[in-house]
Amino acid sequence: MATHCDVVCPFCGLGCDDLTVEEDAGRLAVRSTDCPVARERFGHTPPAEPPRVGGRPASFDDAVRAAAEILWTSRAPLVAGLGTDVAGVRAALALAERVGAVVDHERSEGLYRNLAVFQRSGWIATTFAELRNRCDLLLVVGPDPAALHPRFYERWVVPPPALQAPALREVVFLCGEPLETTRAALGEVPFTVIPGDATQIGAVAAALSTALTDPTGAAPGIAGLAERLRAAHYAVVAWAAAGFPGAHADLAVERLVRLVQDVNRQTRCAGLPLAGYDNVVGANQVCTWQLGVPLRTSLAGGAPRHDPHRFAWERFQHAADAVLWISAFRPEMPAFATGKAVVALAQPGTAFAAEPAVVIPVGTPGIDHAAHVFRGDSIVALRTGHLIDRGLPDVAAVLSAITAALPQEASC
Amino acid sequence: MLTKLAGGRIYDPAQGRDGEVGDLFVRDGRIVADPGTEPDETIDLSGKVVMAGAIDIHSHIAGGKVNLARLLMAEEHRAEPVTAEGLCRCGGGVATPSTHVTGCRYAQMGYTAAFEPAMLASNARHAHLEMADIPLIDTGGYLVLGNDDLFLELLASGAGEAAIADYVGWMLTATRSLAVKSVNPGGINAFKYNQRKLDVDAVGPFHAITPRRILAALAAAVRRLGVPHPLHLHGFNLGVPGNVEATLDSIAAVDGLPLHLTHVQFHAYGTEGDRRFSSAATQIAEMVNRTPTLSIDVGQIMFGQTVTASADTMAQMGNAGHAHPKKWAVMDIECDAGCGVVPFRYRDKAFVNALQWAIGLELFLLVTDPWRIFLTTDHPNGAPFTSYPELIRLLMDRDYRLAKLAELHPDVPAHCILPSLAREYTLGEIATMTRAAPARSLGLKDRGHLGPGAAADVVVYTDRPDRRAMFETPDLVFKDGRLIVRDGVMVALAAGRTHVVEPGHDPAIEAWIDRRFEARMGQKLAHFRISADEIRDGDGLVRHDCRPGAF
Ligand code: SF4
Ligand SMILES: [Zn+2]
Repeated sequence: MATHCDVVCPFCGLGCDDLTVEEDAGRLAVRSTDCPVARERFGHTPPAEPPRVGGRPASFDDAVRAAAEILWTSRAPLVAGLGTDVAGVRAALALAERVGAVVDHERSEGLYRNLAVFQRSGWIATTFAELRNRCDLLLVVGPDPAALHPRFYERWVVPPPALQAPALREVVFLCGEPLETTRAALGEVPFTVIPGDATQIGAVAAALSTALTDPTGAAPGIAGLAERLRAAHYAVVAWAAAGFPGAHADLAVERLVRLVQDVNRQTRCAGLPLAGYDNVVGANQVCTWQLGVPLRTSLAGGAPRHDPHRFAWERFQHAADAVLWISAFRPEMPAFATGKAVVALAQPGTAFAAEPAVVIPVGTPGIDHAAHVFRGDSIVALRTGHLIDRGLPDVAAVLSAITAALPQEASC
Repeated sequence: MLTKLAGGRIYDPAQGRDGEVGDLFVRDGRIVADPGTEPDETIDLSGKVVMAGAIDIHSHIAGGKVNLARLLMAEEHRAEPVTAEGLCRCGGGVATPSTHVTGCRYAQMGYTAAFEPAMLASNARHAHLEMADIPLIDTGGYLVLGNDDLFLELLASGAGEAAIADYVGWMLTATRSLAVKSVNPGGINAFKYNQRKLDVDAVGPFHAITPRRILAALAAAVRRLGVPHPLHLHGFNLGVPGNVEATLDSIAAVDGLPLHLTHVQFHAYGTEGDRRFSSAATQIAEMVNRTPTLSIDVGQIMFGQTVTASADTMAQMGNAGHAHPKKWAVMDIECDAGCGVVPFRYRDKAFVNALQWAIGLELFLLVTDPWRIFLTTDHPNGAPFTSYPELIRLLMDRDYRLAKLAELHPDVPAHCILPSLAREYTLGEIATMTRAAPARSLGLKDRGHLGPGAAADVVVYTDRPDRRAMFETPDLVFKDGRLIVRDGVMVALAAGRTHVVEPGHDPAIEAWIDRRFEARMGQKLAHFRISADEIRDGDGLVRHDCRPGAF
């Protein structure tokens, strides 16, 4: 039995690095926090399994060769999931470039609701430590982000803002109810709830913008909130767009971004678009620096072509004839249409709706190997520890082996 | 393997060679003295111009703000995708090139090193991960200090020079940085408290310290630690007419300590004339010429679309109204600093932009010592780094310069002294300002020259009267002795290295930093610190000596 202290958690993008994790006979148990995501993910470490080809156990080399064959002969491959660390994403992009694949991350939808707005108009944003130390008014918009990022309040909201005078903070929930766990976590921190329909976030944000300069027509709750935003020293508007209901979530984000800009005409205010499950932010960063464009990009034809609509994996999977799916953080995988050649780099114990053509079990970043992952606020990259050895390869090693097994192109 | 580069005209200012014909010998990636033995390979360079690999002392090539700029510049990436070809991987961009494209374009121009001048401590790990993906060139980062709340708190607490230096030394080592940069000292922090302007002697919010104190403290710390590169200062009131006063003030603030003023073109504006916007290049150049402890890089602007990306949120917020296309981003970052990204198009028919172009060239031509002025466009803020060959032509060819000036806004010649400046840079001076001088300033002992022991980063040019064409496409580029480019085509890939310093300091400061990290940052200090094996997977870290007190 061993105890790992100050463990970095790579799962939801909140970047907690204070976990105590006990190890007993290859099993891990989180002892320092109730975070359900961390408990479940660290708690899932079944023993290594051999790779499989066509449902039968195969050697690593045979599985790699079979995967390379599938990807090389595919006319429209999809390399997605991308639930992996920075090294895994690098290797995935190198492979995708060789076979002309579309690349995307499983959780990019929430990210894209923000990115679409960023690419159209830009924004004023902030990071977790600024929230914790400078923010005197936190406005949480829409469904409670704690559903996706359980320790958000405990880590970044409850400690008083040490760099603000007075060191006091209040929280307002708009168009979303705080979870019971959030109410408990907030403890002494004063908070108010301004109820509203989460499908109406865009309209409410626009009304707030108007009320900043002209509160006459505004509902009392909105007029009061506008006044508090104007009076705050450093307000933060936080949202988790992944949880926004409705088809036009990016329009809601656009209005929130505009609200932040409007408040900045008089005082300071910054947005905090929360994202970051399964290193989606890291995947997007690597993709952007290596290709110049973010996720949802096609490398068919040798040059990157980015199309957030067409090359979203959920859409492109229908056009793809082969799928390389990478899921090193969770024992889950989407079901793909029958007849599609699927190569899965997955955690051991992953349940498949249908047995993929090739399965190569991989280790989990932060559990089986040290890894670089990004925090959800996109600035801080973390290096995780390495807790146990199950004899599982990491994603980068598997992908590099597949790339090496591709036929060498004729040199010109 | 011994290679002889035979009979080239060698421009190696560090060794006092100014175009004399000679031979170079390369063994195991290094320049060696003539060993007197038969070489395994001889490359005939007769008639060719030979220089060390060029070094870009200030170019925003990696990190959070660069990636934000790529995202914001979606149009150029749509319009300018780069197809994978031969050894070059795909990517795209002009002002915001992707990592592989960055390395390839630099190498194709004969550059073998470029330094990211604004690495935030909180973003350093990201910057290093990204720099490792830039092939072919060496890199390194300058750590941005002077707006971080920890530093301001330490200073405000009355900590002495030694404690301040310990903090700076600890941070440089922990973030694997090469030098110290300060961006609008105090201003980025003040902006977080809603101040939109902060003068050199104004007391800032919350921590209640003046920029002058921050500046003096950082310059002193750099000297005390013996970091080779002087404090690298992005000054006050960037882009604001009349900011020359603040620039001269900041020179005075360091009280004779070594100082490097970066992208000075953006800080050399007066308020004279009918348009209340004038060149102050003469004042700045005179100050540089009589202050041997001062160096500058220019931050030349060139016309066309680019994007400005800076840690200076205060200035960028002020510039946001000029965004072209109309979108911009500002970020407050991690009780550390910030970043502002504003796309911009410099227009030759716009008076202000045309005068900015002239001011930059005036600075180049008026500063007499090429060892203390470096060729930069502050990529991408003034122009993409790919415009260097054009800029070199403007410096080396007066007729060309005047012809270009004649194409600009007609009022510009009357508002500047550029038409009267006859100076033409020589090849030797170009070699100084793009090779020998930046290497010496950064403390890179084995780069920027071709003496025995130097890394064999060697560039071979055909001497063409069209200097742009000459510097755009060298005949041969060697990186660490390996031929990587022939006639503009990549023939081999090589990995770059990461240059750092690890100044000696009292480790007791760590306990102080640790307490504050624990109380505030939501991150353990042990996790903040970047270990050596994280840099290029443990292969490629180059440590440079610090010489405490030695100036
Ligand atoms: S909140 Fe997120 S980062 Fe923190 S322990 Fe839970 S899953 Fe991990
Ligand atoms: Zn710069």
